[in-house]
Amino acid sequence: MTSEPTNLAAVRRPIDQAHGLSNAHYIDPTVFDEERQAVLFDNWAGLGVGADVPEVGDAVPVTYLGMPLLMVRDKEGEVRVFQNTCRHRGMILVEEPRKIEGAIRCPYHSWCYSTDGRLVSTPHVGGPGQNTHAGIDRALLGLIEIRSHIWMDVIFINISGTALPFEKANAALMDRWAEFDKPLYHGGADSQFQLEVKCNWKLAVENYCESYHLPWVHPGLNSYSRLEDHYHIEAKGQFSGQGTLVYRQLRGDAAEVFPDFDGLADKWDEAAEYITVYPNVLLGVHRDHTFAIVLVPEGPERTVENIHLYYAQPETSDALRAKNTAQWKEVFAEDVFVVEGMQRGRHGVQFDGGRFSPAMDGPTHLFHDWVASQLERHRSALHAAE
Amino acid sequence: MKPLDDALRAAHVAGDTDALIRLYAQAAEGADTSDSAAFYLTHAYVFALETGDARADGLREKLVAVGREEPLDPARPPLR
Repeated sequence: MTSEPTNLAAVRRPIDQAHGLSNAHYIDPTVFDEERQAVLFDNWAGLGVGADVPEVGDAVPVTYLGMPLLMVRDKEGEVRVFQNTCRHRGMILVEEPRKIEGAIRCPYHSWCYSTDGRLVSTPHVGGPGQNTHAGIDRALLGLIEIRSHIWMDVIFINISGTALPFEKANAALMDRWAEFDKPLYHGGADSQFQLEVKCNWKLAVENYCESYHLPWVHPGLNSYSRLEDHYHIEAKGQFSGQGTLVYRQLRGDAAEVFPDFDGLADKWDEAAEYITVYPNVLLGVHRDHTFAIVLVPEGPERTVENIHLYYAQPETSDALRAKNTAQWKEVFAEDVFVVEGMQRGRHGVQFDGGRFSPAMDGPTHLFHDWVASQLERHRSALHAAE
Repeated sequence: MKPLDDALRAAHVAGDTDALIRLYAQAAEGADTSDSAAFYLTHAYVFALETGDARADGLREKLVAVGREEPLDPARPPLR
């Protein structure tokens, strides 16, 4: 495997001359580790959703790119993310999802933490029956908290702590979708599912960005959402995706529909948009529902997609929700063979990263360009430090 | 002390936290040294703290009063 930095120059060319990221970015563990820091840890990456910890005290352990993390809804109802490790000897605190009724107790020596991360008890740390010691400053030994931000119910984290505040880093997208900044109601158990795909997480993003593949991979759309009904969404260095001008509401057997979100402009009567929040969260918005797909990189060639659907009101038709979930499951399942096929293609040693249709692949190229920019930033910082 | 030891052992086996809190507090009251009392009181407190039991605050106050614990730090806002 390569120990030389990959060449990014061709990726950063204008779209009509650019090549995509080279094979190493999809198959090489060394590059995967480099991207882990430069692309995922240094930016606001999606970890889970608020609906994963719906009630006060809910605690869910999750392994994120090898790191043991813990999502918690604290006593004030705020979602927080901590490293799931005791500050004493590094023991894993919570093994299975559970409710924290009072405090998080380490199973090893019973050091206890509040749900806001304070170290609140260190039993016998100064000897039997002596629970304090001058050498143990609890104020400095609380749970290591990971910077987090919740938007569209997605829990975004910035592991490095160095990214701009979320609202600044994603100001343009939050402004574009300001009308959807309102309560989103997760549809429940029937409105979430998971796909495991044998591909690098970036291929799922690249496929999601573009409408170019729709007529061939999603032929069911051709009858009412033709290629010419779609438009590119391109914000260089920030986000990209596509929109449709002909969204059709799902109807039940009695022609019933989901309730709309309040206060949407008329445009949304028949429009829908699908945007990637760089790096790894795929969002879709419609007049009557939204969805979030959090891509979890499990390795260079494996990704788990966690898909969640949300509605405008807490109560919606069970049958209609089931139909909507099934419909989206079918659409996303149709994409599996192309993302897995592109992954296998990356083992063709003479593949040159490919080319982009200047007319049709703009949003995808912008993602490649952004990934390359993050790697260049990371490499420059390392070089400056040497 | 043996019946208490037996009861504690049984409570641990059963995972009966309510009994553990009560029995460790009882053991503290019957302890013959301040270190033993504080040891047992600590156990009662930790189980109460973990489960959000209403007895937790009072047990901590007792430990603070005998210099075996310290008051809680203020709450921490989320790191955003």
